[in-house]
Amino acid sequence: MSVIEKLSKLDRRYVFLAVAIAVSLPMFFPLGLPVEVTAPVKQLYDVIEELPERSVVLISIDYDPSGAPELQPATLAILRHCFKRNLRVLVLGMWAPGVPLGMKALDEVAVKEFNKKYGVDYVNFGYRPGGAIFLVNLGRDVHDVCRTDVYGTPVDELPMMRDVHSAKDIALVVTMSMGVPGSDQWIFYYQARYRGKLATAQTAIGAPRYYPYLQTGQLVGLIGGMKGAAEYERLVKTRGFASIGMDSQSAAHMLIIGLVVLGNFIFWMEKRKK
Amino acid sequence: MRLQIPLAIILVMGIFTLVTAFIPAKPIADVNQLLRNWYIGIITFFIFLGTFNLARVNINKIKRRRRDWGYSFILLGCLALMLFLGFYKGRASTEEGQPFMYLYFNVQFPLGATMYSLLAFFVTSASFRAFRARNKEALCLLLAAVIIMLGRVPVGTAIWKGFPSVTEWIMNYPNAAAKRGISLGIDLGLISMALRMILGIERSYMQ
Repeated sequence: MSVIEKLSKLDRRYVFLAVAIAVSLPMFFPLGLPVEVTAPVKQLYDVIEELPERSVVLISIDYDPSGAPELQPATLAILRHCFKRNLRVLVLGMWAPGVPLGMKALDEVAVKEFNKKYGVDYVNFGYRPGGAIFLVNLGRDVHDVCRTDVYGTPVDELPMMRDVHSAKDIALVVTMSMGVPGSDQWIFYYQARYRGKLATAQTAIGAPRYYPYLQTGQLVGLIGGMKGAAEYERLVKTRGFASIGMDSQSAAHMLIIGLVVLGNFIFWMEKRKK
Repeated sequence: MRLQIPLAIILVMGIFTLVTAFIPAKPIADVNQLLRNWYIGIITFFIFLGTFNLARVNINKIKRRRRDWGYSFILLGCLALMLFLGFYKGRASTEEGQPFMYLYFNVQFPLGATMYSLLAFFVTSASFRAFRARNKEALCLLLAAVIIMLGRVPVGTAIWKGFPSVTEWIMNYPNAAAKRGISLGIDLGLISMALRMILGIERSYMQ
């Protein structure tokens, strides 16, 4: 059996092993390559930079643990930016398993890093069911659909919520989304109806779908996957999990490209032989 | 009657919802608001329905000793454990350091992330076996994919500074154009499907 034949029948477990090595090695021997910031990420950063102090930013945690490696770093970076700019943050989520992720992110950034006061600087409403219908109701009357926060405190007892009643009181919505309900519902049922500023962070696989909305202005920013999160981390001058993961992603991409080239070479050689 | 009543509900509600989009005034807006609140209430019950169905399917699997029935035991055990830990201290169960949160962050979180990351292994294997430049169109797709893969990682920028710009161009023009076309097609299909359901022509969802 020739080398080409052997390669064409390569056991896929060798490919899996190569992926595992490519992803793991940079964690022990980091390359530390700089991350270039792309326009969709910079746009979101600029929108947050331009918001007046004490504006309200709503962050929707529309993902679960499977999407967390890509989306949690983006959530942390955006929270850092918001609190650095002294903005108020309202957190909720349309995915029940995402609630603890939102709580952890707030605890890590709002409490431990910025010493922000719950109820005054930020509020967490936890899981909100209803998808599209919830968003239509949210834009109309926040107090009606979020009667208590995640800890059971009535909304009227939260000082931050005294001047937050509807979509016009929310300066920006950022949906951290990996599926349905998520960005689509925010665009179709919230942004289209109430015309507020909306941005999204997506898993890498979902991001290309949202470029048309970026062009039409329905989205004011787009963070795509771990790379987008790493770009945002660079903008807010922190080196978080996404920036660290970029070396592994670089190695994995190079491996895939190498394998695609090798696969095509084998294909070409076999075709020539026939 | 089993057929006519659901069809009549869909017809009335479908037309009413369409009307509310054009007449957002009272009393139509109030009735619409009431219906939206009902919808959220009904949606919330789906969580119970889902949990109940999951339990029922797996209990049946164990009873009939179907293939891999042992895994159903693990699933039901984990379901019962998480339900218990989530409820036994009320809201305090979701505070830091509680067993529910410990299991969430140390079991569910890594397991969920692992499941999603398995994609990388399969995508790599598939790209080696199936991503072939069999014709001009496939070659074009392959080149675009390679450029995007390079433009999306720092090592690509280290090779050539222009990769991120070319990647953004591909995403903004060819990709956005194709996505827009697909979305329009899907949405037109959805409108036609919704009309068919409202008018009672499409009934397959009732079977």
